[in-house]
Amino acid sequence: MRNPLIKRIPRELKTEWHKYLVIILFMVLMIGVISGMYVGHDSMLAAIHAGWEKLKLEDGSFELSHKASQELLSDIGSGEKADVRAYLIEKGQKEADKEVAKQIDESLRDTVTKAIGEGVRAQCQALGITDEALISEQIDAAMQEGFDAAYEEARAAEEFKDAEKEAYEKAHEEVTKKVDEKWGETVDRYDLDNADFVPQRVRIFEHFYREEAEDYNKDGTEDATVRIYMSNSDIDQASFNEGRMPQKENEIAIDRMHAENVGIKIGDTIRIGERDFQVVGLLSYVNYLTLHESNTDLMFDAFGFDVAMVTPEGFRSLRTRVHYSYAFQYEKKPEGKEQLADASENLLKALITQTLVYDNEIEDYLPEYLRQASNFAVSDIEGDLTSTGILCYILIAVIAFIFAITISNTIDKEASVIGTLRASGYSRTEMVVHYMSMPVIVTLLGALIGNVLGYTTFRDVAVNLYYQSYSLPACSTVWSNVALVKTTLIPLTLMFCINLYVIIRKLQISPLRFLRHDLKKTKKSRAMRLPRWSFLRRFRLRILLQNMPNYLILIFGVIFIELMLCFAFGIPDSLDHYADSAEDMILSEYQYMLMDSTDADGEIITTSEKSAEPFCMTSLLFPKETGGFRTGMGSGGDESVSVYGLRKDSAYAPLGEKTGEDGVYLSSAFCKKFSLTKGDVITLHEEYENKSYTFRVKGSIEYDGGIAAFMDEESFRKVFDKKEDEFSGFFSHHRITDIDEQLIATVITKEDIVKVTNQLTHSIGGALEVFKYVLIVLAAALIYLLAKIIIERNEHSISMAKILGFLNGEISSLYILPTAMIVVLFSLISFGVGFCLMIWIFRVFVLQMDGYFSFFMSPSSMILSILYLLIGYTGVSLIDFFRIKRIPLDVALKNIE
Amino acid sequence: MSENFLQIKDLTKSFGSGQARQEVLRGMDFTVKKGEFCVLLGPSGSGKSTLLNIIGGIDTPDGGYVSINGDKLEEMNERQLTLYRRKHLGYVFQMYNLIPNLNVKENIEVGAYLSDKPLDVEEVLTTLGLSEHKYKYPNQLSGGQQQRVSIGRAVVKNPDILMCDEPTGALDYKTSKEILALIEDCNKKFGTTVIMVTHNEAIKYMADHVIKLRDGVVRHNDLNTEKLTALELEW
Repeated sequence: MRNPLIKRIPRELKTEWHKYLVIILFMVLMIGVISGMYVGHDSMLAAIHAGWEKLKLEDGSFELSHKASQELLSDIGSGEKADVRAYLIEKGQKEADKEVAKQIDESLRDTVTKAIGEGVRAQCQALGITDEALISEQIDAAMQEGFDAAYEEARAAEEFKDAEKEAYEKAHEEVTKKVDEKWGETVDRYDLDNADFVPQRVRIFEHFYREEAEDYNKDGTEDATVRIYMSNSDIDQASFNEGRMPQKENEIAIDRMHAENVGIKIGDTIRIGERDFQVVGLLSYVNYLTLHESNTDLMFDAFGFDVAMVTPEGFRSLRTRVHYSYAFQYEKKPEGKEQLADASENLLKALITQTLVYDNEIEDYLPEYLRQASNFAVSDIEGDLTSTGILCYILIAVIAFIFAITISNTIDKEASVIGTLRASGYSRTEMVVHYMSMPVIVTLLGALIGNVLGYTTFRDVAVNLYYQSYSLPACSTVWSNVALVKTTLIPLTLMFCINLYVIIRKLQISPLRFLRHDLKKTKKSRAMRLPRWSFLRRFRLRILLQNMPNYLILIFGVIFIELMLCFAFGIPDSLDHYADSAEDMILSEYQYMLMDSTDADGEIITTSEKSAEPFCMTSLLFPKETGGFRTGMGSGGDESVSVYGLRKDSAYAPLGEKTGEDGVYLSSAFCKKFSLTKGDVITLHEEYENKSYTFRVKGSIEYDGGIAAFMDEESFRKVFDKKEDEFSGFFSHHRITDIDEQLIATVITKEDIVKVTNQLTHSIGGALEVFKYVLIVLAAALIYLLAKIIIERNEHSISMAKILGFLNGEISSLYILPTAMIVVLFSLISFGVGFCLMIWIFRVFVLQMDGYFSFFMSPSSMILSILYLLIGYTGVSLIDFFRIKRIPLDVALKNIE
Repeated sequence: MSENFLQIKDLTKSFGSGQARQEVLRGMDFTVKKGEFCVLLGPSGSGKSTLLNIIGGIDTPDGGYVSINGDKLEEMNERQLTLYRRKHLGYVFQMYNLIPNLNVKENIEVGAYLSDKPLDVEEVLTTLGLSEHKYKYPNQLSGGQQQRVSIGRAVVKNPDILMCDEPTGALDYKTSKEILALIEDCNKKFGTTVIMVTHNEAIKYMADHVIKLRDGVVRHNDLNTEKLTALELEW
């Protein structure tokens, strides 16, 4: 026979549907959203990883100034270094030979001419001819007649041959000497003599592109720069989110994200350069998941930059210069970052030397593992879920507690029944199982619906969030074990354990005590004495004291609600605040990073800008101790630190004193992010070399824009083995106009900081707005549940108060007012707690990311977050008032029924 | 009737400590035979409910013992006590303690579920005159009807002992007699041993065995030679 108690469960669900509906809704929303995020996250990563194979992602690329010959490509492909020295000597000697031959020839001709002239003049003098005109005539005639023979005779002379040989030898020596001098520098610069060099064989693909002006609204002004590739490329292919590949000369497919941002649709005609193209497809290039125009760009720009695909005919019809870009794939791709770094270094050596010997020039070289456009999104997607998970567990714990309290109240209410059942022979285990069934069923139901929604609707929401930020390929849903564990198994276990603990604890007492309604573990010897207040005030206080455990849960709930509201209001505020304080986020109005401190002629780069101040900089890594939060691009989970070498009296980040070789000042962001203070010791290490540096923190410099360390330039150069005049760039208050743009790697200005927040706001702003309202609804639902528990628990007393003649208004003031006082008081305190918790959570979150971002809430948001709670509670009080009104008089008179 | 089916020996029980200590049972001795209708009679505070609870295995004595069929309750652990209650006892309380969201039939099934040899639920419903109410919920029934359900829940287990704690305490005269008649029927029909706690002197006339308690001791331990039926009782 099946246990008849099971039949209670559907009935309980039916009669208390609104309570369970709210709880299930909670669970569905939380589990659904988190599960959706995980599934979306896993699906997206799976699609990206699959795309790497399917769409043939490069392992790196290089651009040459001229189209490469097949021989050059084949030699680069071999991975071998060219013998540049021999080439240079041979080339130099050839040039020298030409020069020497020319000079010898000129000199010999002069000598012969002079000898003939002098001979004729001597003969004329002997004959007594003095007429200069006649002499000249005789010389010309002699030259015409005898020059060639005399020239040949002179050339054949042994003396001449010796001199000629000597001249050539001397010239060759000179060439060799000069090449060796120059070669030394080149070798040093590119570490060409490294004994660890291993040839890295690669397959090379033509991947030419043109950059054109895009005028999508055809108003005659350039709206964006578009980088155009041919549709027949064998490498770095695209997946189509919508539409198809271009097939006609006037057809084009453009990046989906850019199209979405600027409002281009399939079928639109856009002007590229000087001709019109019809948009037939929206694509995502495997190597452009984010639209970074240049690898040194701080942030991608999906508004002002676009990538596109046209047919080869379409490509030829364009007018701007072709960028001779070549992509490569290793024949045997090294695994691991360090190995990749070594391989790309080795290939670079081959590339430098081979292009040199083929008289070509490298314009750009970028190994894929360093490529922002293909790694930024992946790295960002990989590490953004932990904090959401934590938030989910906190909420599940709150719901579990609400459940536990609800069940605990039910047990109190059903004490006689439980006592009777236990006295009749029902075991404690059977009772525990019975009272556990409801939370388990509701959680399972929530988890089931949540997961279904997670794999469908919410997955789409999450994927769309990624699509709003990045140019990602189309993805299909993949099964996520992590999602199952984190959104279903952990919440179920959490719910199960909390409820099991409360129920077991509650059912510990004997059947007899249940029958006697003697349910308190400890008995108070006497009631607390209250001050001589009015009766109603004392009554209220008694209610408050009697319901203390429920109020504690309410307070816990209010704290959680405030935490959610701080999250909802704080994130957009923090983004705005970051943008508003952009000026404090940069060390100088203009920060120029140079490619090198010298120009092509080896001259130190200088500027006439008065405010310009040179600085040295290198990037190192600071190990994070937070564990495997993130394994993103290049960072290996460690924080990237910019180490600056500054003048002692720098106008941009004054150090005040010499730091010495073992001392550094840290940026305020660095100190705050890792809780570092003066006197702490930090160890920074190189990313691709097994080399580390230990420094003692000498203080901090007010700079929230980045994780940076500062040293005086002298110490910097010693520590990092830099030459005395070597530097990395300039700080400047004004734009520097007298440095060739080719020499500038990047310029960081306030706009770059604002660009970051604008992109973030664009990417997540809409979702945050939705999130804010979801949280507000959740907050109202939570407070509804908690207030309901308090009224339910006091149903008997309320009914009795009604029998005694208290009016509904009086009863409401007795039972609602204490709750209102608690809510008002604790909304203020909870705001403080929620705010602090949010700062902590934010810190944990920021620790997973590179860089620093502080939590900020504007005063108006602070007030609103409290006000929203109170408005929500006012609504709930109204419901409570009607709830009290509906409690019948016979509750107090009847038996359990 | 077998001898000494239920044996109570030197049973003591007190509550509180120090000056507040109150001895509720002070060395109680008696035996009950199988199939006997035994009434524990006494005023409030005489210890009858405490005694019933100890016999029912939901309370423990300070001294002495209770043995059923030779098995001493004091030697049983919690699990064995639960099994003892499950297999041998049926409980009827003054307050009916029905499960509010189960209907009449289901409330009776709650008892049947516990038993290895339950009676037919429909038959019990008919016996108790509840057939037409079997799909009603407890709050749709009168007090007497609810107590019938409570008896049904206890009887359907086909227990060896039916423990009744003031089963008519909350009922009117007429309904009380009906309830007593039902308990009497069960006793006769199924041979169930009945131990009924009451302060109603009139009920003693329908019992086989009357034990009068006062101040925690047995004052009278009498066997009725001539019994009245429940319906013949007057008070």
